[in-house]
Amino acid sequence: MAYTERVVEHYERPRNVGSFAAEEGNVGTGVVGAPECGDVMKLQLKINPQTEVIEDAKFKTFGCGSAIASSSYVTELVKGKTVAEAGAIKNTEIVTELALPPVKIHCSVLAEDAIKAAVADWRDRAEGAGAPKKDAA
Amino acid sequence: MATPTVARCWRCQDEHRPQVFCPACEALQPLPPDIDYFTLFGLARHPRLDEQALAQTYYELSRQLHPDLHQTGTAQEREASLQNTALVNRAYRTLRDPVQRGRYWLALNGEPLGKENNKVPPALALFVFEVQEKLAAVREARPAETEGTQDALAGLRAEMTQVRDDLDDRMRDLQHRLAANFSKWGQADGSSALLSELKRVLSEMAYLRTLTRDVEKALSIL
Repeated sequence: MAYTERVVEHYERPRNVGSFAAEEGNVGTGVVGAPECGDVMKLQLKINPQTEVIEDAKFKTFGCGSAIASSSYVTELVKGKTVAEAGAIKNTEIVTELALPPVKIHCSVLAEDAIKAAVADWRDRAEGAGAPKKDAA
Repeated sequence: MATPTVARCWRCQDEHRPQVFCPACEALQPLPPDIDYFTLFGLARHPRLDEQALAQTYYELSRQLHPDLHQTGTAQEREASLQNTALVNRAYRTLRDPVQRGRYWLALNGEPLGKENNKVPPALALFVFEVQEKLAAVREARPAETEGTQDALAGLRAEMTQVRDDLDDRMRDLQHRLAANFSKWGQADGSSALLSELKRVLSEMAYLRTLTRDVEKALSIL
């Protein structure tokens, strides 16, 4: 099966690869895995605690081209969005953008899960740090 | 995957439960392709099974069905011999391996493991991620090996060995959990909790198995 052009593009020039320094604050980290294909994905969101806007995002994925492309695209997609908006992103958006075939849809599901996990992690940390409690989006 | 309960003999039209030989005329019967594997081996439908009895029945059936024995039979018998042999081999391979049997059990219960329904706990995803980072370090270290980086390679080798031992421990623990899950079926507690636990265990095993292969490969080139 051939990868679509958009997948190859993200695969060859992945956006925002890496991670934030451990001491950097206001970062939410989500690590999610797909046992059937062995993939694992880490997504980090740097969030402004006042506005709840995602100011930066980084990822690192070990997996197939579609998994890498899905997470790469997600880092572009979430930047500038509020946490609530990012939490509402559906995997279908990723499928459409990258033209993923049915057998690779689970890669987009993984990327959606990664956003949710990163947001949840950020909320946990914010609450732990005594920040005002907000309802989960 | 409901198993048909009645089969009709192609030769004498006798009706009986699906079995290899017609109880009335002893003609070799084609087994229904969707017969459940437990029924095929005359075992109770339960994920914990008597492995000796399974092997014994397997050898017995293989002998009875062997295509060499049916070369002089009718076309139906020759065909049944071939198809039954393939089915019995497939069923045996599935049932004798606890992991395959567990996955088959999930499918029998209408919840096959797929790519969508097997989330892993965050701690496990993190563990896999960390091992993958170490594997990436191994891949990057290889081209530089000529430049007196023996110490660095030895360090990576020690680290990978540690990871492999850790994976072995985790796998053993999962095998125990799998066996414990199997033996709980049919007891008082509801099967939905058992199904979820079985899914979790088998997902983790699939995940760690892939990772173990990668680690073994890394160790072989270090």
